Amino acid sequence: MSETQAAEEAKGTAPSSNKPPIIRLRGIKKTFWRGKEPVRVLENLDLDVPDGSFEALMGPSGSGKSTILNLVAGLDQPSEGTVEVAGQVISGLSESRLARWRADTIGFIFQSFHLIPVLSAQRNVELPLLLTSLGSSERKKRAQTALRVVGLEDRAGHYPRQLSGGQEQRVAIARAIVNDPRIIVADEPTGDLDRQSADDVLGLLTKLNREFGKTIIMVTHDPAAAERATITRRLDKGQLK
Amino acid sequence: MNLGGVAANNLRRNKLRSALTIAGVAIAILAFVLLRTIVEAWTAQSSDVANDRIVTRHKVTFVLSLPKRYVDEVRGMKEVKIATWANWFGGKDPNHDTDFFQALACDEKTFFEVYDDMRTTPEQLKAFKEDRQGAIVGEKLLKRLGWKVGETVTLTSQIFPGNWEFHIVGTYEALKKAVDPASFLFHWDMLNERMPKAFQDQVGWIVARVGVGSSAVDTSKAIDDKFESSDVQTKSQDERSFQQSFLGMFSAILTALNIVSAVILGIMMLILGNTVAMGVRERTGEYAVLRAIGFLPRHIALLVIFEAGVLGIVGGGVGLGLAYPFINLGMGRFIEENFSNFFPFFRITPESGAISMAIAVGLALCASLPPAVNAYRLHVVEALRRIA
Amino acid sequence: MIPIEYNTGSLAARKTTTATAVLGIALVVFVLAASLMLTEGIKQTLGKTGRPDVGIVIRQGSDAELSSNFDLANVGLILEGSEVKRGPDGNPLGVGEIIVVALMKKVGSDGVSNVQLRGVPDNVYAVRPDVHITEGRKAKPGTDEAVLGQKIRGRFDTLELGQSVELKKGRSVKIVGIFEDGGSGFESEVWCDVDTIRTAFGREGIVSSARAQLTSASAYDQFKTRVESDKRLGLEVQRETEYYEKQSQSLAMFVRVLGTIVAIFFSAGAMIGAMITMYASVASRHREVGTLRALGFSRFSILSCFLIESALLALIGGAFGCLGSLALGTVKFSMMNFATWSEIVFTFHPTPKILGVSMIASAVMGLVGGFLPALQAALLSPIEAMRGE
Repeated sequence: MSETQAAEEAKGTAPSSNKPPIIRLRGIKKTFWRGKEPVRVLENLDLDVPDGSFEALMGPSGSGKSTILNLVAGLDQPSEGTVEVAGQVISGLSESRLARWRADTIGFIFQSFHLIPVLSAQRNVELPLLLTSLGSSERKKRAQTALRVVGLEDRAGHYPRQLSGGQEQRVAIARAIVNDPRIIVADEPTGDLDRQSADDVLGLLTKLNREFGKTIIMVTHDPAAAERATITRRLDKGQLK
Repeated sequence: MNLGGVAANNLRRNKLRSALTIAGVAIAILAFVLLRTIVEAWTAQSSDVANDRIVTRHKVTFVLSLPKRYVDEVRGMKEVKIATWANWFGGKDPNHDTDFFQALACDEKTFFEVYDDMRTTPEQLKAFKEDRQGAIVGEKLLKRLGWKVGETVTLTSQIFPGNWEFHIVGTYEALKKAVDPASFLFHWDMLNERMPKAFQDQVGWIVARVGVGSSAVDTSKAIDDKFESSDVQTKSQDERSFQQSFLGMFSAILTALNIVSAVILGIMMLILGNTVAMGVRERTGEYAVLRAIGFLPRHIALLVIFEAGVLGIVGGGVGLGLAYPFINLGMGRFIEENFSNFFPFFRITPESGAISMAIAVGLALCASLPPAVNAYRLHVVEALRRIA
Repeated sequence: MIPIEYNTGSLAARKTTTATAVLGIALVVFVLAASLMLTEGIKQTLGKTGRPDVGIVIRQGSDAELSSNFDLANVGLILEGSEVKRGPDGNPLGVGEIIVVALMKKVGSDGVSNVQLRGVPDNVYAVRPDVHITEGRKAKPGTDEAVLGQKIRGRFDTLELGQSVELKKGRSVKIVGIFEDGGSGFESEVWCDVDTIRTAFGREGIVSSARAQLTSASAYDQFKTRVESDKRLGLEVQRETEYYEKQSQSLAMFVRVLGTIVAIFFSAGAMIGAMITMYASVASRHREVGTLRALGFSRFSILSCFLIESALLALIGGAFGCLGSLALGTVKFSMMNFATWSEIVFTFHPTPKILGVSMIASAVMGLVGGFLPALQAALLSPIEAMRGE
């Protein structure tokens, strides 16, 4: 390895050309139907996402960025083409297999947090662990660890309505990492937050990428968020720029 | 477009919920009508009575009889136009062991005049009077036991030993609900002559009709006063009181049925009120916009009330629509044929139908009041802020 | 899989809707449990009234004691066989009794009804050893004294300790004691001296029925054969338990039929109520369901989650309904016994089995009512669900 490469690798911005891309989209077409009218959101799209990168997807609304996110996360299937994640082709898998795969591989962060309002922060974070075979004390420990990473271990017993927007999103991040996923998928994570909270959240995401090596795909309108990414891609009318 | 139309349209938004609510109301009304019909059929006998008939029996117990000479004494009273008597036979058709019907040994000369609402033909009546072994059988009973006029049948009795042979010479039709349409009537002489000497010349009860100008209630008292000082005392009642006291023996069941009817209406109100309240909660934003445009609080409240009213009307209509064929055509026929001694008349009366509909709508409106009050009290600014 | 706190928390968060559905199911379960308890009460009362080792003898063709009568002299013949148990004094343990009904005024309501009077001989307590006097004392044999069954006490005018009941003009009996018999049908009767009844009601030389305490239940067949084989007597024999069983059957069936009709309508209503509640609940939780699906919970886990929630809702309602029905334990329900044409008093008799059945019924109502909404929740696509609301 050259000096520059080593330096870049330390910064985490170097394309890790040694490792294969963790996400590979090939020949993706996605068509939605509005009544009888077809809406072609993505047409013949190819995308490689390197392992360990922090990607920002930007573009005007309707450009298809959320669609790409849903395909990568195994929430949706392409009309044509293949989606390969971490060496496994997930396009074409059955719904129940995809559900299990999501639980193992993906961590989700949504714009409006999507915490379960009637469960405490601790319980919300534990949710993904219920899909594993871990015992209840082990689950509790991991949830507490995840809450510690996001700095909210003293709010474990609070309910979402007792937390600020920023705190809710951080709990959501704890939930996203508690299962140690390969990939974190974030859809407008700072969209509903004020500037300060947004910065806190982005700081966390950066930490997760640099210290814990998580691959992050983020859809965003926020330029400050895009700043933190290692790779920024723009989408317009289904085409990557 | 008026508020009523808007209200009706609101129900189309959540078709499933509206449909389920209507189904709930319909089921409740159907059950209510059924219970009301049962109660009414049971009590019908006490309302459709002859106003001038009196029944006189032993004061203490129906198990004991009255001396036959009492009949002449009653006939001698000035208020009494005509009197007859009968004895309970406790008869059974050995071929239909479990079929319970009323078999009476009566005075063939006068019975059908006192009971002129048991209609038979003059020829059949004449044949009955002339044939000592003759019997007149209610139409419903004839059909049920598969007998025909002209047949000779044998009955046994729960009270009197032996076999009893009769010739069926005619049938009768019951013209009033208080009259049993499935009775078996034969000559009292037949019974009397087979009794041991000590038990002869006893009658079970006396039935009298008062003349014009006399009251049945007063005459009842007069009859009882007449025999007050004798060894055997009587209790006389006009037919209405008699039927009502008979009903009184079943008062517990009737009360229970009434309670159950009330409960089912309560459940209906819960379902309906819940649905309306849910609708109001969901539409606070729209109500706020309507208020902003210029509608008044009472308009909003009326919207809610109308919505409930529509649910009540449609649900009640569906319930009644199902009830009529189910009860009048299906279940009612079956019960009238087979349980005629208890329910000779099992049909939804027009009053029942109207009351049920009124209740459906009335309760719907009541159930809508709490959500309507909430809608009335809407804080417009707050609600608008929530949409924006 | 999905934690139960999710269900309990959601139910608690939607208080009014939950309460409404719970109340609806509670009412249904209350009525269901009450009618089952009444049927059980009928069976208990009439069931306890008979014993398998007692034979009851009535005139052939009569269905019940009330319409039966035969010669007093035949009682001796009936009781002389070896199947009949003998008392310590060597006399057969058997009775010949006269049954009449008297029309009496009810206390409380306006109406009248029939009360069963039983004329009993002196040895009645020897033949019915389970009968105990709870207040007052036994009636002196051969007098105008009488004892009163505790269930019918106070329900009719003059049916109280120390009062006189008029049999006919100039002839009354005085109530000197109250008896209990383990809740049997006898507790709805007034027991007078058999000769007093005989003369008051002109039943000279007759009895309504005879009962014989047999040496054992297996001696019944021999007893029956012996008594029925003498055609001159014209009598029929039944085991006491079967005699009362027949009475209870028609009554119990009547209650059961009415109860079933009511239960069917009620549970349909309750299930609709539950369905509406659960549909609304699911509708307001699209986003949560979408999130859970995104996190990787399967459609089946969503289905079972909502099924559990509606079952939980129903069970809470069922518990309240059962509690309410237990309060009926103190209520006395009197009905016309069709077989005896007299008033008989029943209680609502709770059993663990009835409570169990009621709880299961409520769970079933919850599951059936909640199935379609749970299915709808399970079939939501995660993306649309999260976008919704």
